[in-house]
Amino acid sequence: MKKLAFAAMGVAAALTLAGCSGGAASSGGGGGGDEAEIRVWLNGTDTPDEAREYLKTTFEDDHPGSTLTIEEQSWTGIVDKLTTSLSGSDSPDVVEVGNTQSAAFTSAGAFLDLSDHYEDLGGDDLLPGFVEAGTYDGTFYAAPYYSGARLVFYKKDLYAAAGLSVPTTLDEYVSHGVALAAANPGVSGIYFPGQDWYNALPFIWENGGEIATEEGGEWVGGFSSPESQAGLKQVQTVMTTASLAPKDGNETDPQVPYCAGTVAQLSAPSWVRWSILAPADADAPGCPDQEANLGVFALPGKDGGAAQVFAGGSNVAVAAKSANPELAVDALKIMLSDEYQTILGTAGLVPAKVSLAGTIGTDEAATAITEAATNAKLTPASPRWADVEAAGILQDFFVKVAQGGDVAALAEELDARIEEILNS
Amino acid sequence: MTIGQDLLRADRPDAERGGGPRGSGATRGPRRSRRGSGAAGGRAGLTPAALLVPSAAVLIVVVGYPLVTLLVMSFQEFGRAQAFGAPAPFVGFDNYVRVLTDSTFWTVLLRSLAFCAVNVAATMTLGTLIALLMQRLGRALRLLVSVGLLLAWAMPALTAVIVWGWMFDTQFGVINHLLTVLTGTDFANHSWLIDPLSFFLVATVIITWQSVPFVAFTVYAGLTQVPDEVLEAAQLDGAGPVARFRLIVFPYLKSIFLVVTVLQVIWDLRVFTQIFALQGIGGIREQTSTIGVYIYQTSLAGGEYGTGGAIAVLLVILMLAISLYYVRATLKEDES
Repeated sequence: MKKLAFAAMGVAAALTLAGCSGGAASSGGGGGGDEAEIRVWLNGTDTPDEAREYLKTTFEDDHPGSTLTIEEQSWTGIVDKLTTSLSGSDSPDVVEVGNTQSAAFTSAGAFLDLSDHYEDLGGDDLLPGFVEAGTYDGTFYAAPYYSGARLVFYKKDLYAAAGLSVPTTLDEYVSHGVALAAANPGVSGIYFPGQDWYNALPFIWENGGEIATEEGGEWVGGFSSPESQAGLKQVQTVMTTASLAPKDGNETDPQVPYCAGTVAQLSAPSWVRWSILAPADADAPGCPDQEANLGVFALPGKDGGAAQVFAGGSNVAVAAKSANPELAVDALKIMLSDEYQTILGTAGLVPAKVSLAGTIGTDEAATAITEAATNAKLTPASPRWADVEAAGILQDFFVKVAQGGDVAALAEELDARIEEILNS
Repeated sequence: MTIGQDLLRADRPDAERGGGPRGSGATRGPRRSRRGSGAAGGRAGLTPAALLVPSAAVLIVVVGYPLVTLLVMSFQEFGRAQAFGAPAPFVGFDNYVRVLTDSTFWTVLLRSLAFCAVNVAATMTLGTLIALLMQRLGRALRLLVSVGLLLAWAMPALTAVIVWGWMFDTQFGVINHLLTVLTGTDFANHSWLIDPLSFFLVATVIITWQSVPFVAFTVYAGLTQVPDEVLEAAQLDGAGPVARFRLIVFPYLKSIFLVVTVLQVIWDLRVFTQIFALQGIGGIREQTSTIGVYIYQTSLAGGEYGTGGAIAVLLVILMLAISLYYVRATLKEDES
């Protein structure tokens, strides 16, 4: 039976191979060998459907016979997944990667050198911080994709009931949160799940602290510095007295508690606005009836103005092992075209090109986005930083902070781990 | 029984030898026929070997090649750059020394062993009880239980974790809601995953729920082999249900219990999906990683394939030891 099965498999394989070569020969004769399938990996739901549709149709119109497939990946564990798939033989062609994760791949030679296409992709019009994130040793590997600003969303009616106005300093934002939580039992004054370390960064930076600094070629963790400690204590206050979010929860799908009415203020990426306002019958339903009640502002800094927030965002790159690098670069060019980037801009993402900043619009949210983007800041510029993120030690740390742990002792432990990874 | 067999085997050459020297001419015949049967035995030995070739080939490609790569990697300095083609220098036992002197490794290993012990005990007990229950049920109810077990068994592990994760959700979970309603104490916003013990309780529920069907079906199949008359006789002699299970059913099914337990130990020791997915939902990674997840975190997330490889090789050795015990037990079973 096994022998038979194997013989059958052999015959089937032979037939399939024959079929392939036959097909290739005929297409080679007719269409110039241009026909291929391009796989694009986009992470999470950040990219709006309209942009996905535009990419697919434009690419397939430009390259008759070729197809473009978008495969959505989850942000969680993306570094591991990219490492495995980009080094394998079944690599995707175009991949999106978090801007703070780029260095792990550009330094390892996982991406195609895009230096020759720099001008075509947008040249000096591209967001400089993201070009820097995608460049390693003077070679341009990953183009900017979009930048996401973090905004604070709040419920106007709860503000009115408590007699509050939009906060102008970080301290005021915290005291608003505590006051709102006290006035509304069962409601988070500031929704702050324990694993959400991105939202903790402004507290550290605004108090003068750093995540880690490079001193004479060695990285030194910055969580135990007195400045960072002041910020972390503030984070703990918010997490323990103003937030009812799960102490070990993550930041995905914040629209669910928001729409359930248990959140007064929420700091989140700008596109979360569309998750909140999604139609009630969508796959991921929101609460569009809350539109008039949904207020938005840029997180205020310690001394007023916009706070230094984490400049989340993405880079896009072509895999070094892509089977069709030329087609993949063409797809990348579409993603950086003015039309495509305008779609991203209207959806509330900061476009990859400086000249398109106006596409975000001029309403309250757009002003807040522009304001927040002016003061955005990045994680330490080390190729090993992605490993710190992937190890999950930041999440673990803030979960323990949320549980009311000893901030000073925990910070020392965390610094040691960060130094161990960055200096290895 | 084994002793008897050994005696029999020992007898055979004696008989032959005994027959040999006595009459030279008369023994030729039987000897030749013996040789003939020996040749037939040789052919019979070749056919099974030939039949094994395809599966052996598949195993060598699918299991052997990665295993050898893993072994080589565990002696190299192998990071993310090496995964993309940079040369990997050999570093001898460096990776092993680093792993074995790391207290985290020992904590994780002990945690895995404890978790495995609890899960195997829970699975075996529940599985056996359900098998006994199925034996006593009527046809319709037994079908219902079987279908229920099959569905739990057929559910992909990741899907199961997500569904159970929703049930145990901190904010909107049905478990917290029911507990609040039933007990009167406020379970709203109670996190089930933040405390490591409670995390492993949830993990145990999920894993046991999915492994019980295999045990239940196997033991139930075994139960049909226990002769009714023996049980009846024991009952007439006044043996209660517990005594009947302990003195009759268990000895009859001993080999089944042994095999199933060893398999459960292997499965529960290398558990990955359930723990990894649960960590994404909540809990603290550092306090809840089992050995499988720890290997993943070291190799893939941390980009240290060499060190991760060394841990994996150590786990393979541990698994081999358990498997050898299993193989020996099976061989003994075949003999008797």
